[in-house]
Amino acid sequence: MAGERSGEDIVSEYLGQNPQLAEWVDTFRTYCESNKQWVARREFILRNMEAFPTVEPGVPSSSLDRLLSLSMVWANHVFLGCSYPQAVMDKISEMGEGIVVEDVPVHKTMKEIMARGKRSATAESDADSCAKRAKLGPNELDGRPAGRTNARPVTQKSGPLPQAPAEHQPFFNRLYKAVAWKLVSAGGFGPNLDHFEILRSCVESCKQTLTCVFVPLKDITGLPAGRTQKEGHVCEIRCQTVYLGTGYGRDESAAKAMASKEALKVFQGRKVTVKICRRRYKGKDVEDLMLLDEQPRSQGFPPALSYPFQDEQLEDGSS
Amino acid sequence: MGVPAFFRWLSRKYASIIVHCVEEKGKECNGVRIPVDTTKPNPNEVEFDNLYLDMNGIIHPCTHPEDKPAPKNEDEMMVAIFEYIDRLFNIVRPRRVLYMAIDGVAPRAKMNQQRSRRFRASKEGVELAEEKGRMREEIIQKGGYLPPEEIKERFDSNCITPGTEFMDNLAQCLRYYVADRLSNDPGWKNVVVFLSDASVPGEGEHKIMDFIRRQRAQPNHDPNTHHCLCGADADLIMLGLATHEPNFTIIREEFKPNKPRPCALCGQMGHEIKDCQGVAREKKGQHDEFADTVPVSEQEFIFIRLCVLREYLARELTMASLPFPFDFERSVDDWVFMCFFVGNDFLPHLPSLEIREGAIDRLVNIYKDVVHKTGGYLTQNGYVDLERVEMIMQAVGVAEDNIFRKRKEDDENFKRRNKEKRRRMKAEQQGPAYLTTGQFAPQALGRRDRPEAVHNARHQAYDMRMQHNKDAAQSLKAMMKNGGNSSAGPSNSTESRGVKRKAEDSDSEPEPEDNVRLWEEGWKQRYYKTKFDVDVTDEDFRRKVVKSYVEGLCWVLRYYYQGCASWKWYFPFHYAPFASDFKDIKGMFTDFEKETKPFKPLEQLMGVFPAASGNFLPPTWRNLMSSPDSSIIDFYPDDFAIDLNGKKYAWQGVALLPFVDERRLRAALAEVYPDLTTEEVKRNSLGSDVLFLSKAHPLFDFIHELYRAESNEDTEIPAELCHGIQGVLQLDDDPILPDKTVTSPIPMLRDISQNSSIGVKFKDPQYADGFVFKAVLLAGAKLPSKVLKPGDWEKGNREPWRPQLGFNRNRQQAHLDQSGFRALGHSMNRNQRGGGQYSNAPPPGNYHQGNYRPQHSGGHQPFQHSRQNSLLGAPPSFHQPQFPRQQQQQQQQQQYRSGGHGWDRAMQSQQLAYQLNRDRGGEGSGGYQQRYDQRRDDWHDRRDNRGQQHRSYSDDRGYPPPPPSRRYQWNSK
Repeated sequence: MAGERSGEDIVSEYLGQNPQLAEWVDTFRTYCESNKQWVARREFILRNMEAFPTVEPGVPSSSLDRLLSLSMVWANHVFLGCSYPQAVMDKISEMGEGIVVEDVPVHKTMKEIMARGKRSATAESDADSCAKRAKLGPNELDGRPAGRTNARPVTQKSGPLPQAPAEHQPFFNRLYKAVAWKLVSAGGFGPNLDHFEILRSCVESCKQTLTCVFVPLKDITGLPAGRTQKEGHVCEIRCQTVYLGTGYGRDESAAKAMASKEALKVFQGRKVTVKICRRRYKGKDVEDLMLLDEQPRSQGFPPALSYPFQDEQLEDGSS
Repeated sequence: MGVPAFFRWLSRKYASIIVHCVEEKGKECNGVRIPVDTTKPNPNEVEFDNLYLDMNGIIHPCTHPEDKPAPKNEDEMMVAIFEYIDRLFNIVRPRRVLYMAIDGVAPRAKMNQQRSRRFRASKEGVELAEEKGRMREEIIQKGGYLPPEEIKERFDSNCITPGTEFMDNLAQCLRYYVADRLSNDPGWKNVVVFLSDASVPGEGEHKIMDFIRRQRAQPNHDPNTHHCLCGADADLIMLGLATHEPNFTIIREEFKPNKPRPCALCGQMGHEIKDCQGVAREKKGQHDEFADTVPVSEQEFIFIRLCVLREYLARELTMASLPFPFDFERSVDDWVFMCFFVGNDFLPHLPSLEIREGAIDRLVNIYKDVVHKTGGYLTQNGYVDLERVEMIMQAVGVAEDNIFRKRKEDDENFKRRNKEKRRRMKAEQQGPAYLTTGQFAPQALGRRDRPEAVHNARHQAYDMRMQHNKDAAQSLKAMMKNGGNSSAGPSNSTESRGVKRKAEDSDSEPEPEDNVRLWEEGWKQRYYKTKFDVDVTDEDFRRKVVKSYVEGLCWVLRYYYQGCASWKWYFPFHYAPFASDFKDIKGMFTDFEKETKPFKPLEQLMGVFPAASGNFLPPTWRNLMSSPDSSIIDFYPDDFAIDLNGKKYAWQGVALLPFVDERRLRAALAEVYPDLTTEEVKRNSLGSDVLFLSKAHPLFDFIHELYRAESNEDTEIPAELCHGIQGVLQLDDDPILPDKTVTSPIPMLRDISQNSSIGVKFKDPQYADGFVFKAVLLAGAKLPSKVLKPGDWEKGNREPWRPQLGFNRNRQQAHLDQSGFRALGHSMNRNQRGGGQYSNAPPPGNYHQGNYRPQHSGGHQPFQHSRQNSLLGAPPSFHQPQFPRQQQQQQQQQQYRSGGHGWDRAMQSQQLAYQLNRDRGGEGSGGYQQRYDQRRDDWHDRRDNRGQQHRSYSDDRGYPPPPPSRRYQWNSK
């Protein structure tokens, strides 16, 4: 569906052939929309019309309103910098796939401004938030700029950028402190903690979220023979695209707990470091961002279950 | 206009418009409170006929006060509101009408602002709670102590919106309150009370205006009614002027910036949440008896006399040799109109016009220039002549370039001076450049190890000298080696030259980036690109913005002069165009859509609330705010961007919220309407104003008779029974009737068993479609006597001018006699021991009589400088030098007031600065300190006042303060 030609050409060609449709669609343009905004939103509406089979050109209906509403959500997110509940964001990022918007405006949210005003804005957190907004590349998985992924330049090479570890390091320094305090208040690291809860609350107190990826064990290829159990799940935890840990469990929550425990183990050292390391992903060697402690590793890393730095080439190659 | 800067600007420029309220306090005798008898003459030496209350200005401070503990529950809030109204009633003592207006559903044009406020409030609340939680954890981990978290629910101020249960309860409580006072308070005996609750559409102040407008358009209106309007919004001043009633006064709380607030975490004063340490609470009083009192004085009230403002305006606006006859009333309307360019609730202000940069003066100057060419006034009866407006706008547009450049310059200068000042302060703390060493080293006094007697002094002196020379030589060498650009020689002395200079701005906050850079070539292009995301070449889009803005100006003016022209219209952009873009605007506006209807209360709630406040709505309605399948989900982002737009704080910026699509909102709500309960249906319906009066009122029998006859038709009020007030009466469904017990909605208050009041529905007089309310003085209106000093007073060779301080020129001044001053001086001396160098300073040159008023509790009298600042009535030095004794007394008085903080001095420099600004005229001078003020003390400012303390500290010490720091004192009171 995502053609090489810009979507705009296709849309105007299509509308040229259907003048009635064009006229009808134009009634949805709001007074304050600029050409650029409207062209993008129009494409969104037209592309997604099929998914709303009850929408008929020229006939008002509640499903049409829903489509319009989602188109506004998408446009508000891309052009105004609004964000919506996760379920809504997921939906529009899916629906907006393939629409290219050039030169997307950059905005600061309330949260970011307040954060800047209150704490004695350290260069660290500032640089951090700038990186968050400006560079859309490695950050998709943290769920924030989901709808804008389409604006990402396609030319970027596969894998994390060489400066990525340096960009992420300040955040993980803060996270390290948060975890340390949290563990102290929880009575120290041990087997009887809710590891996921600790990790999650620490990450959220640093204004970020965790990403968990679950894969049934049976779907993982290349495991040593004899260890291939049919049951069970594997969970991989990342934060800001940086790999934290992997765990296995009977069900997803057990896997998640184990992965969190592994992740917290990294925080037991004297510091944590973000590094680019090579590891297996879908049977290939890739470069990944990992969070490591100081200890030398005796064994290799478990294979990655997700890979947030992927672009089309790699996907084409692997499929 | 919620623009606090406007009021500040006005009260400084036209200082004599402000008169302090005299308030008679209820006495207490053997633990019984004796209420004030409000039937007695008003102690302010003026009698008011009508008192109007813009209730939202009362509800907010009573439900979530900033300077005292919040009420524990809704009942306490209601009682606080009652007490507040009582207090106002006591001060104003209206003799005919008390009109209470609560904000109802607002026009669409206002809704966008309300929406932005509520989204922000909700977001800020969440952020604050998060911050609190984080700090709490941190402090407890560090071993600090914090009082246990309060379990009580946070009062969501968002519920002060029409359609919520809270507002419904409030209306009930107010009915009870009115019935009670009418039955029991003799001061209310002859007063007609109007209650316009939240179920009646329209903003409170505009409902009041509508009432006044419609009364004065009917023949029985008394043209000399003295109106008093209570509310803090600056636009009340505009509204008051727009009525053209000669006797119009506004009463508001006096604004005192920098009031201390308790820390939100531990509840103690003196620090903010981010500096909270969690230390144990200090005992207040010897036995902690003052534990729950907050050490702030009670809020006092001031009057703003619009007739004095009219006098000032007459001097400023009067133009000679016009090609058409000068009409002051028309020029006032034009002035009001031009104030809208600078800021109003419905439109973003033009980027080049900032109140703090003297925008209104600039506009007035342009206006006086242009009006010769326009051939007439800009407005008439609230209708705008666009051709003439275009000429004004073009004249502003020509200056735009310069304004932006000057703004930047001023800003840089301000920053530079600030930086220099900081550096100076630091240098002062660093101590002397050279210190003796060894046995000559300075020693602290009173320490146990006394310095020993000096021996071998010569040798020591030699050493010191040589060491100093060595250092100097070394640093000279280093300087030569480094090419002369650094002084980084090794030095262990306390001299600063060895200290590496830190980055200049290390201690200043980072400036928000500004991509528009209005001061640089190409600003227009960048502005349209960054703010609207369009190219400057997109002429069509630019025209669209201008057209909307022009419509907006017409709408706003009409709103003020004729009432709401369209409930639907709104400005659909987040930013304003430039003045220079207003070209060919004549044809841009014809008329508004007719017959538009306001939203229903619950619909408006859906339009202004964020999803987080959804609990005020029925479940299925609430669901529309969060479900991915909702057809209006786009109205409810859970986070949104803020554009600082050149400002510093988030609350000053522009919230980039999407606009509500009315059609889709109504369509979506149509599906959930059946889910409303009967109670909710009732809350959602439009209500009516209600009129109350007591048995003693001449109209009482008439109304009582209506109820007895059960006449269900509309009935006109007989004008002669009610001071010429007209309107249509209709029987209430659940009326308050005499001798029918009124049950109390508040458990702690008793039912009224002996009710002697009556209530009936009231409708303002109706006029034909297309009726135009005339913005003129009415025939028979007597203008109040002049207050300002006539310009030709000296020429008349009369006695020295005596300025008028209150409402009455022949007011009795209160005097202290000698023994009083002795007593005062005695106790002052005791308290003032070592009270700064100013306790011995001679008094400032001019002394203002009557500043000392014993009725007032404190010696703290803001606005006392009004005399000094008043530019037209500036009095000559008043006191007579031949009474040395008196002078001495005055001196003491000055000391008393100045309190050793150097305020008197600040006052003088204020005047100086002020006059300097004046002299420079309308060039937008005085930009920075005023802008700085704005940053400091806007209404919900959250600043720390450490800076302030710091400054006064330095003043006390007698360090010569640098010019800007003196000017800050401008509003330090």
